[in-house]
Amino acid sequence: MKRSWYATPYALWMLLFAVVPLLFVCWYAFTTPEGAFTLSNFQEFVKPRYLGVIVRSLKLAVYCTVLCLLIGYPTAYFLAGRDFNHAQSLVVLILLPMWMNLLLRTYAMMTLLDDNGVLNAALTALGLGKITVIGTEGAVVLGLVYNYLPFMVLPIYTVLKKMDYSVIEAAEDLGCNPIRVITRVVIPMSVPGIVSGITMVFMPAVTSFAISTLLSNGKIRLAGDLIDYIFNQSSNPTRWNIGSSFSLIMLVLILISIGFLRKVDPDNEGGGMW
Amino acid sequence: MVQDTRLIELKGVCKNFGDTQVLRDVDLYIRKCEFITLLGPSGCGKTTLLRIIGGFEMPSSGEVLFEGKDMTGIPPYKRRINTVFQKYALFGHLNVFDNIAFGLNLKTPEQMGVKTKKEKKEEIARRVHRMLKLVKMEGYEKRSIDALSGGQQQRIAIARALVNEPEVLLLDEPLGALDLKLRKEMQLELKAMQQQLGITFIYVTHDQEEALTMSDTIAVINGGRIQQIDNPKRIYDEPVNAFVADFIGESNIVDGVMLEDDLVKFSGVEFQCVDEGFDTNEPVDVVIRPEDIMIVGEDVGMLTGTVQSVIFKGVHYEMMVESGERTWKVHSTTMQPVGTSVGMTIVPYNIHIMRKATTADAVPVQDKTNKEA
Repeated sequence: MKRSWYATPYALWMLLFAVVPLLFVCWYAFTTPEGAFTLSNFQEFVKPRYLGVIVRSLKLAVYCTVLCLLIGYPTAYFLAGRDFNHAQSLVVLILLPMWMNLLLRTYAMMTLLDDNGVLNAALTALGLGKITVIGTEGAVVLGLVYNYLPFMVLPIYTVLKKMDYSVIEAAEDLGCNPIRVITRVVIPMSVPGIVSGITMVFMPAVTSFAISTLLSNGKIRLAGDLIDYIFNQSSNPTRWNIGSSFSLIMLVLILISIGFLRKVDPDNEGGGMW
Repeated sequence: MVQDTRLIELKGVCKNFGDTQVLRDVDLYIRKCEFITLLGPSGCGKTTLLRIIGGFEMPSSGEVLFEGKDMTGIPPYKRRINTVFQKYALFGHLNVFDNIAFGLNLKTPEQMGVKTKKEKKEEIARRVHRMLKLVKMEGYEKRSIDALSGGQQQRIAIARALVNEPEVLLLDEPLGALDLKLRKEMQLELKAMQQQLGITFIYVTHDQEEALTMSDTIAVINGGRIQQIDNPKRIYDEPVNAFVADFIGESNIVDGVMLEDDLVKFSGVEFQCVDEGFDTNEPVDVVIRPEDIMIVGEDVGMLTGTVQSVIFKGVHYEMMVESGERTWKVHSTTMQPVGTSVGMTIVPYNIHIMRKATTADAVPVQDKTNKEA
């Protein structure tokens, strides 16, 4: 039996549950409910109330990615350091939240951040007064970072862990002070991990759904929520067609952003999946 | 030429990793323009010693002086020392030019002896080009590091260190990964570069032949202690103890008894030798190089034996000759078939007598008069 045969179950699975549905999406996106070819579904997209959602999704996803990078990189650097030998247990700690369902975690966050939640109780106790978190963009970004941070830490950790320590010594030897060692050698050499991390955070963040609705009491809708909303509009006869066209637009936006990232890491050394 | 100024001096340097004592009370000085090799088996502490000089490790006790000034605790980037690492440690994200220019790029224009940034850039290009010429890698500026062979990466690593014009170059088994022919070539090139540039080289290796080929001075290290410091010829001809004798070149080491000055008895036979100053009947180690045993007729030999095995080694044959209770390793250009009974003679000055069993405790004093260099 040829080796490629072993992939048959996966190929079948993907064909049935990814390729065929995608073809359906394409079909709906380019047709009217009666089945005639049309591009009008895509025109809906430029309506301000829809365009605004897309722009906001991209904006919040960028905030989330930048925050994940700022928090995740130093963490990964610390974990991969050679004088830290509890790395395994800490990696598990970072992965631990992922063992719990995303929705459960987000509900937990709601309770923490609620106007009458743990955070405000603590603030009141300290005499600092209440703050409103739920319903703000900040709360949504917080929820996104909370959920996707491990996807930033892990690929960067992997690349840094593989890095030969003598390269760092070589940089010191050639005149780098500790800060320059990081800016001139460690960061440039970990670009593949950074690219991988950005991709793995940005993509799910931009299409995320439920997190935003839950943490904003339904006030902030992101692209994922919008698509969900359109499909569930019972009154609109074109809901499947418009929903499909939006899904395709998101797909294209993501493909474009991956294309940009691949330019930064052409050899795909990050061991990433993309 | 090696100058008399002491550039680096180590005084009573000890290093412990946890409970393991890696270096014990090392005293060593390194002179300007000297090519000194730290030679020893793996795990003897030679790399640790090099890393202490480079600033990558701190000694547990003792001090390291650079031109008389204590530099213990000064980080590597503030030392006028550069290193060629064992696995080269080149920067994979930079091309050949940027790898070599790495150290220079960190300097200010003033440190480079020019005024503007533009002039600095030109100066860097000029120096990098000169280095590429020195290591015979002209035209490779734009290549990626991954596209180079091991030998080429080695050359770039050397260029990257030398371009900074260090006072001292540390080399940590830099030729270990190269094949034999390339290694021999690079040995000669490194020696030539060192003489041309007039830089002090501190070289770490476990390869005794490499050490003998290149060095002005060899420090033989074992068990964290310096066993002997001397020029290559004296290290080979006058090993101070059985360890050095055994590690440098090949040797037969037998137990003997010093009967009186210039007379030693081993294998039941009395031999004339040229060593004096031992106690009467003092037990000693007798070291005889395989090439110093001459095969003669059975009737005229001082020792007699039977050839047990013959191996052709290229220039010579290596024969194991059984005589009484021990087997002698003999190198000779003429071959005696297995089973032949032969005689063996050794001339007095090829018999090296060493005091017993002080190998681990001996802390030799570096004696300047010993050095020819």
